[in-house]
Amino acid sequence: MYGKGLRPLSIATPVAFAITLSLVFFYAPIEADQGFLQKIFYLHVPLAIVSLVGFIVGGIFAILHLRRDDARYDAYSYVSIHISVIFAVGALITGSIWAKGSWGHWWVWNEPTLVSFLIVFLLYATYYPFRYAIEDRQRQARYASVFAITAGAFVPLNFMAVRLSASLVHPRVFATAEGGLPGSMMITFLCSIASMALLWTTLVKFELSAKSAQGQLKRLRRALDAPTGPPSSRIAPEVH
Amino acid sequence: MPDALVNWLFAAPAIPNDVGGKYVAGAYIVFVVLLLVYVAIMGMKLARIERGLRDVAEIAEQRKDGAAAASTVRAEVKS
Repeated sequence: MYGKGLRPLSIATPVAFAITLSLVFFYAPIEADQGFLQKIFYLHVPLAIVSLVGFIVGGIFAILHLRRDDARYDAYSYVSIHISVIFAVGALITGSIWAKGSWGHWWVWNEPTLVSFLIVFLLYATYYPFRYAIEDRQRQARYASVFAITAGAFVPLNFMAVRLSASLVHPRVFATAEGGLPGSMMITFLCSIASMALLWTTLVKFELSAKSAQGQLKRLRRALDAPTGPPSSRIAPEVH
Repeated sequence: MPDALVNWLFAAPAIPNDVGGKYVAGAYIVFVVLLLVYVAIMGMKLARIERGLRDVAEIAEQRKDGAAAASTVRAEVKS
């Protein structure tokens, strides 16, 4: 059930990435100010945007979980946040590399964009120990949903606060009415975001199908009264 | 990193041999490595599931064989 649509997604994602990388390196012009270094933009910004949107999606699934009391939505929320945390790690590392090349420092502590993203990342990094701290599965799922909703609401608030603050060195994407990017760069950037969103969706589906297979195996063991095998993760929700 | 690998990286014709090229290559390599680590972890998880399925299939087959043998014995006793 969770694997439905995984096959076309698994084909579409590498195709989309091949097109995007071709656009990045052969179509998008070299930026006048930063030169070739600006190519990191097409990787770093989509990673950051998709991870932030993923956190919000996790919050929406958490709302559905609390409203419908359906454990599936807890699994969706958990996996959305899990994949988004991985994307956020990617955004932080690539951003740091870009910062070193562009500003000469790996990290600038008085830049609101960087610090706010780090705060969001650290907030979601506490999601795992938070789940681990609660043994009862149902309580764990409920509390995790409340966490996901609160943290998910914090993401757009944080984003708006950063937008309103004065930037020191970090550029603002879509800062002007025209988007702040020439046409060829904008097309490449939108393709990058679409590819990254496709990758996120594919990984979420992949993770859910793996968890579902693990859940089905557990059911089969129980039905056969077979030994339960090695203990599964205490924080990941069970998917059937 | 061995010198040969560093020289090969800097000699790569697709990477402009300036300051920016190194960082762009680094960022994209980090992304690929992250993906590969994720795929490797998922691969290990899937291997564990496959092992579990094999165990369960063996248990099911043993029980089926046991049940078949028991019904044969019952049939012989009746006749």
